[in-house]
Amino acid sequence: MSATDFEQQGTGWGILEDLPGDPMMWVLIFSELAAFGLFLGAFVIARALHPAVFAAGQATLDAHLAGLNTIVLVTSGWTAARATAAARASARGCARGWLFGAMALGALFIAIKLLEYAGEIASGNGLETSPFFTLYFLLTGFHLLHVGLGIVILAVVSRGARPASVETGTAFWHMVDLLWIVIFPILYLVR
Amino acid sequence: MIPDRLDITWLVLIGLALATVLVPSIVTRPLLGNALLLAFAALKGRRIVLDFLDLRAAPALWRGLVSAWLVIVLLFAWSASAVVALI
Repeated sequence: MSATDFEQQGTGWGILEDLPGDPMMWVLIFSELAAFGLFLGAFVIARALHPAVFAAGQATLDAHLAGLNTIVLVTSGWTAARATAAARASARGCARGWLFGAMALGALFIAIKLLEYAGEIASGNGLETSPFFTLYFLLTGFHLLHVGLGIVILAVVSRGARPASVETGTAFWHMVDLLWIVIFPILYLVR
Repeated sequence: MIPDRLDITWLVLIGLALATVLVPSIVTRPLLGNALLLAFAALKGRRIVLDFLDLRAAPALWRGLVSAWLVIVLLFAWSASAVVALI
């Protein structure tokens, strides 16, 4: 079979075409899950090797502020899911409104996280304070960058608010949400 | 307005998020507390995967792959904390 024949049978993504949104976004999502999974695994192993250092570092974190951020992010996930439902129903204006809601809540997440960082830095904790804080700042900072990137992606897909674009953008946003759901208890609460 | 599946998932996620923050002050035994925290995270993650990421209707392969990632990461975190608590 020639490449042309193959392309005429579909877009060439195979079973990835069964996922909502653009298959390329799912390649990115699976890559990100693998990277964060390894990163979290490294954090867990480091904690097992230095339990006292990690317990001392964790005790200085503000779990209530991070818990508030969990509520902010899952709510933004809900507004993003509503945007997808509206886009599928061809209600583009409505979809755009829900997407703006998700972006605003994403911006609130960033603001709360920066407030949390400011408190930690003011207490004398930084990237080189201890292995706990090195991994904490890298993991949460990497996640925060994804929140920022997610806001940009949502802004881009909100322009046309076409169903396939909105599905693609919100799939990334839900991945960011899913990552925080796992990061929060492991870094802040597990003893 | 009658809440649909997305609304119910959102309410479940909010409830589990609040419960998660309360666990350390209510459950003092680390092994049990950690198990509860991570079980809540698994439940939250599962709802996000099925209803927000919308993999409920996707092939079982993809649903299983993302769910397996969730379970492996959380189980690894619990196992490591359990080993440290027991030795």
